[in-house]
Order: sequence, then C-alpha cells, then structure tokens
Amino acid sequence: MSVGPCEAFALVVRRELRLSFRRPDQLLQPLVFFLIVTTLFPLGLSLQLSLLRDMAPGVLWVAALLSSLLSLDSLFKSDADDGTLEQLALCGQGLTVIVVAKTFAHWLVTGLALVLVSPVVGTALGIPGSVFATMMLSLGLGTLTLSWLGAIGAGLTVGLKRGNVLLSLIVLPLAMPLLIFGAGATDRAISGVSAAGALYFLAALCVFTCTLAPFAATAALHITLE
Amino acid sequence: MWTWFYKLASPPYVYGTAAALAPWFLGLAAIAIGYGVVDGLVFAPPDYQQGDAFRIIYVHVPSAWLSLFAYVSMAVAAAIALIWRIKMGHAVAAASAPIGASFTLLALATGSLWGRPMWGTFWAWDPRLTSELILLFLYVGVMSLRSAFEDPARGDRAAALLALVGVVNVPIIHFSVVWWNSLHQGATVAKFGKPTMAASMLWPLLSMALGFMLFYGAVLCMRLQGEVLNRERQAKWVAEAIKS
Amino acid sequence: MGGGGNQIVTGTGFWSMGGYARYVWPCFAFAGMILGWNLWSARRYRVAAQLRARRALEAAETDRAAPTVVTIPRTAGGKA
Repeated sequence: MSVGPCEAFALVVRRELRLSFRRPDQLLQPLVFFLIVTTLFPLGLSLQLSLLRDMAPGVLWVAALLSSLLSLDSLFKSDADDGTLEQLALCGQGLTVIVVAKTFAHWLVTGLALVLVSPVVGTALGIPGSVFATMMLSLGLGTLTLSWLGAIGAGLTVGLKRGNVLLSLIVLPLAMPLLIFGAGATDRAISGVSAAGALYFLAALCVFTCTLAPFAATAALHITLE
Repeated sequence: MWTWFYKLASPPYVYGTAAALAPWFLGLAAIAIGYGVVDGLVFAPPDYQQGDAFRIIYVHVPSAWLSLFAYVSMAVAAAIALIWRIKMGHAVAAASAPIGASFTLLALATGSLWGRPMWGTFWAWDPRLTSELILLFLYVGVMSLRSAFEDPARGDRAAALLALVGVVNVPIIHFSVVWWNSLHQGATVAKFGKPTMAASMLWPLLSMALGFMLFYGAVLCMRLQGEVLNRERQAKWVAEAIKS
Repeated sequence: MGGGGNQIVTGTGFWSMGGYARYVWPCFAFAGMILGWNLWSARRYRVAAQLRARRALEAAETDRAAPTVVTIPRTAGGKA
C-alpha cells in the first residue's frame, strides 16, 4: 500500500507531535528558557519600564533565538541515534518530505508556542498591547524561518560530539538578518511608524528560506548520515 | 573540450600547477602591491574632505574585495566538488577559507580605524559593517565544521554545503549600501558606469586590488599543495612529487 | 610637487599623514602583518603536509620490505 507525500507528511507530523507530548517536560523547557532569558535583561539592566520598552523587541527576539537554538538539537538527533532516521530515509518517500514534516512539527511545538507566550513576556517588558499583533506576526514568521535555518544546521551537525555549540555557531550568523528585521518590525510598531515594510521583508525571508532550506537540509542529512 | 576541466580534477596536476604558479603570483603581487603602496602613500594627492586619512582606502578596499572574492571562490569550488564530486574542489575550498577569514578581519580592522576619524566611532551597526562581520562568522563556521568531523571527506562535504548556504550573504554585503541608508560610503568603483574617483587616486587602488588578488593566488597555491598532499597521502605520484 | 621628491618623503609632513598618523600607519602595519601571517602560515602548512606524506611513504616502504608479522604465542592452555 503506497502512501502519497501528503499522507506521509501528515503521518510524520502526527508522529512527531505524539512523541513530543509524551514528554511534556521537554516540551516546556525551551519555553521556560525563553521566560528566564527575558527576565535576565531587566534584572541585569535594572531599567524603568518605559526605558525597557525601547529594548523590548530586541530582548524578545534574542531570547526567542536562543531558546529556539536549544531545542534544535533534538530535531534529528534522537532519530539519528536509534536508526529511525535512516529507516525513514529508505521508506521510499524521499527524505525531503520527512524533513519538511519534522521541521514543521518542530516549529509547531517550539516556535508557535513561543509566539503564543509572547504577549505575556511582552507585557513584562513594557510592550504596549496595541503592538501585540505585529509582534506575534513577526515572531511567527521569524521562528518559522529560524526552524528552517536550524534544520540545515542540525542536519550538518547531527552525530557530532559537541554539535550543540557548532550548531549555534552555524545558525546564528545566518539568523542575523532575521533578527534585524524581526526586532525592527516590532520596534517600528512601538514608535508608531508603519511596520509593513519590515513585515514584508520578514515574509520574503520566510518564503525564501522555506523554499530552499528543505533541499539544503536534506542534502546535509545525506552527507552526515551516509 | 572539457579536458582542461577534468585535468583540474587530477591531484598531481593540481599539485604541480600550484607549485609552479605560486612564485609567479607572489612576484607579480609584490610588484603590484609595491607600486600601489608607494603611489598611494606618496604621490596620490590628499582628499578634499578626508585629507591624508583617505589613504587607508589602499588597504581597506582591497582587503574587503578580497574577503568577498575568497568566499565566492570557496563557494564555487565547493559547488564543483559537490556537483561533480571532484575532490580537488574541496581542497581549494579548504585552502581559501583561512585566507579569506584573515582578510575579512583586516577589512573590519582597517575600516574601524578609518571610521574613528571620519565618523567619530570605531564601529556602527550599519548594514555593510554588520554583514561583513557576519561574513567573518560564516568563515569561522565553515572552518569549524570541516574540522569537527572525524572523517575528513564527510567534513569536506558538510563544510561545502555550509559555504553554499552562506553565499547568500555576499550580494547582501555588496548591495547593502544601495538597499539601505548606510553610514558606509556608496559604491564608487565597483558599479556600472565610470568610477567617480580621481584617476591619480584610482590607479594605486586598482594596483593594490590586483596585488592582493595575486597574493591570494600565491598563498592559495601554497596552501593548496598542502591540502592536496593531506588528501592524497597514499597515492603513487606523491613519492615523486615530494622528492623534487 | 614643489620642493622636490626628497622633502615629500623625509619631511615630517609625510609621517604625520596630515595629523591622521595614528590611524593610517596602524592600518598599513596591520595589513603587513596579515600578509606576512598568510605567507608564514601557508608555508608552514605545506611543509607539515610534505613531512606527513614523507613519513607515511617511509612507513609504507618499511612495511613492504619487512612486513610485521604478528605471532600469537600458544599458551600452555587454560587446562591446568
């Protein structure tokens, strides 16, 4: 019985989600890290809320970036360790569909979760409620792009001994333009200027990455899994 | 027609050609850089706005151009290696990376020293400076990734893929001064149409740029010999080549 | 260029670079250092690779000339 790519995608996504929810503590760790890191900035800088607001978009984005990086390690690692990834690669669907499904599922449980939690964090940093829509949209696009950049990095470093640090070293330079435009969009919305330009650019980056990254990530896995 | 292309894939040919070319590249580079330094420091007239500080251009711009050129060379070699499975491509990419990284560092340092008297600051988070800094991080990432693998062939392929992913940054660096309001000067030489720099200032700059490229060629050939040997240690031709 | 070539090079005007000496000269010095480092590092890399290749070849030759044969001594036996 042959399964089409869409069904394979849905199956893998469902599997990933089921596996993730089986260990809810692992699911919550990046979120908690996100909250902790955003707390560090006000504590370290002891600014008044009004001044904190100026820094808030940047702080939010850096925290989102770092907590996404933490969770990226698990994207391929556990499956590569017990051989599941090789089995999936051989199943006839082509590794690309598997990679797309895994990355999408990963974004659902990390990036999307961050987006949903961001109003709470935003309030703590002094971001006005009127800006939340822009903030969440920019974070949504940004974390999706980041999941894909991270998939490339994870594909390249799966199986390496201290791959975690190398993963960050690889992904962060690629994510810098993302940070600039993502924080810039929220920043602009806070100062009342239209954030449309930055959001369009973020969307363009997202589309560009989502189109090309699957092939790069698949190629990376072919290199490291052979 | 493609015989020259496949000759490039032969390790003894690459090793021999690199050994032969290196001294020539080095000699020509010395001449070009020598002329550029003397003409740029002594004979070029001081700039109307920047005075003698503009002479930093004679090291800053060539090193910036070289940092981009080396990355593109590395990416092209990586692409050739991945697509046609020519191992010598990996050798060229591996040899280019440290050279390009050092010149990126030079571009950032000289730019920083130039920025202090001109803009009043050693650094600004503007698009061109930021993307050049990202280029340095990309170089470091490629070199680290290559050395992280125990199997050197796998490390080569992974580093090649990363180099290709990062090549997107290169047009961003070049066009950043066009696309965004940047503190950095716009394109005066590397653009369509006539360069807007005075000839007496332009010639030493072009000579320095040529000199740096030739120097890159020389150092690349030297490193390439090492890279080829490391990858082909057991091959028969190595015995002859080393004795010479 | 009034005053002749000598004055341009040896006069204090040249070395002070119009007051920007502490920016211009470190730039050129740093450039020289980077160029020098590249040459030194590349030469070192090549020499090390040649050495490693030479050693590998010598090891292979000695192996071919007198192949190391490993003999596992027969133990008196676990049986007492």
